[in-house]
Amino acid sequence: MKEYFRLQYKMINRRFKDAGFEPLLAYIILAAIFAALSAYLFYKTEFATYIYSLLALALAGKLSEIRRTEFIKLCFGDKKLQEIRIAENLIIAFPFLVFLVFKHQFLASIVLLILATLLALVNFRTELNFTIPTPFSKKPFEFSTGFRNTFYLVIGAYVLTVIAVSVNNFNLGIFAMLLMFAITLSYYSNPENEYYVWTYSLNPKMFLSQKIKTALRFSSFLALPIAIILAIFYQHSIGFILIFFLIGWAFHVCMIVTKYATYPDELNVGQAVLLSLCIGFPPLLIVLIPYLFFKSENRLSSLLK
Amino acid sequence: MIAVRNLFKKYGTNEVLKNVNVQFDKGNVYGIVGENGAGKTTLFRCIAGLENYEGEVSSDLHPLKNHLGLLFTDPYFFQKITGEEYIRLLCNARNNKIADIENRNIFDLPLNQYASVYSTGMKKKLAITAILLQGNQYFILDEPFNGVDIHSNIIITEIIHKLRELNKTVIISSHIFSTLSDTCDEIHLLSHGELVKSVKRENFLDLELEMKEITVGNKIEKLGLS
Repeated sequence: MKEYFRLQYKMINRRFKDAGFEPLLAYIILAAIFAALSAYLFYKTEFATYIYSLLALALAGKLSEIRRTEFIKLCFGDKKLQEIRIAENLIIAFPFLVFLVFKHQFLASIVLLILATLLALVNFRTELNFTIPTPFSKKPFEFSTGFRNTFYLVIGAYVLTVIAVSVNNFNLGIFAMLLMFAITLSYYSNPENEYYVWTYSLNPKMFLSQKIKTALRFSSFLALPIAIILAIFYQHSIGFILIFFLIGWAFHVCMIVTKYATYPDELNVGQAVLLSLCIGFPPLLIVLIPYLFFKSENRLSSLLK
Repeated sequence: MIAVRNLFKKYGTNEVLKNVNVQFDKGNVYGIVGENGAGKTTLFRCIAGLENYEGEVSSDLHPLKNHLGLLFTDPYFFQKITGEEYIRLLCNARNNKIADIENRNIFDLPLNQYASVYSTGMKKKLAITAILLQGNQYFILDEPFNGVDIHSNIIITEIIHKLRELNKTVIISSHIFSTLSDTCDEIHLLSHGELVKSVKRENFLDLELEMKEITVGNKIEKLGLS
């Protein structure tokens, strides 16, 4: 078991090194980002404890995938499997637990601890036997596949909007809209196989423009209902809603150009830090987007002529 | 027509392709044979522009990649993309809007299911369908018969004949000699990164015997089976 975790630790460090970061520095940066985002969430909404706990469980749940569990079982046997899975879930939940305790949310931290442990004992298939319908089937792939992976979060964002309106909490409504944008942003987080770029008969500029157009169109399709509901119930804040909507769009553009600026490599820690800085200070996007667009064009020029 | 001139490819110090010169004409089907690691896939990737190389790859349609249908030995599929969406994605990429995908599903694939759960043969058939519907002029098919059932093998062979009829250029690699002799006009033998032999249809039998001799030799006798 010790060897298993040593190997996991090595693999994580290797990823940081591949991205050009000293692992220790990367851990410090990630911890700082985590603390900042957690503080922001608790500052923004009274439902933070629930969202926070659900997020921790969703992350831990990703490790319960049946093929992954079967592999560990094959290597270590039944008894060790349970120990490994419980340890993994507790490691994932640990930073969340620390923050909940820091926020004096003792009951929530105990519930999270118990649920994370129990979650380690169940397995589920991430590959269902039926095809989840998607409104984006005509123009694959980011939104059609992404929607299928996150449809429950999309529903969650809509539910949050309804709650926001029913408890008259405008900030929560804005949070729901930003959550929707964050969900659709995640569809662009991983670089696709080079075949799926190569096969386009477009030059890099046209390729990037098409990706951006699709992202703006489809993210609006999902986020617009939230914006409209908020606009109806908080007419005096339409300007605010519009600004956040535009910020959501700008982040999509930024995410796409960031992804292809290092393509086919994954997003590196440096870029992740830049994106985080933009979250704190969105006007940075005005400089960053053209710069990364130019870099992306160069990067794609070998695959798209 | 695709012309490859003085093509060299290195991975670090490992020279994978050494001065490859070959031309693939319109309306012809070409076979590339060679042992594992001979450089077949690398040659295909260079022609497609997926690798940097020294030398020249030219074609009568520019850029070549926009008219090329490329089938990998082991096609990659996204998680949670259906067969129909995969075809649509590849056709959209070439600005070729296909309305009646279901009618063109000649391999009877379950197009509304996720491609990632298809069997090896089904995945290959899906990838072939997609590059055919893209409307390409050139085709590179790396191991198109691998893992595919006997009925589909027959269909793929007929498709290749049809492509020849339509004056397209087709390049195939296969480890099954009979599939090449059934479909190709010329076979090139690649060995350790060099094109060592090119054989026209009338001499395929000689090539097969020669390859058998080189490959098998007296190895079977060494087993001492009785």
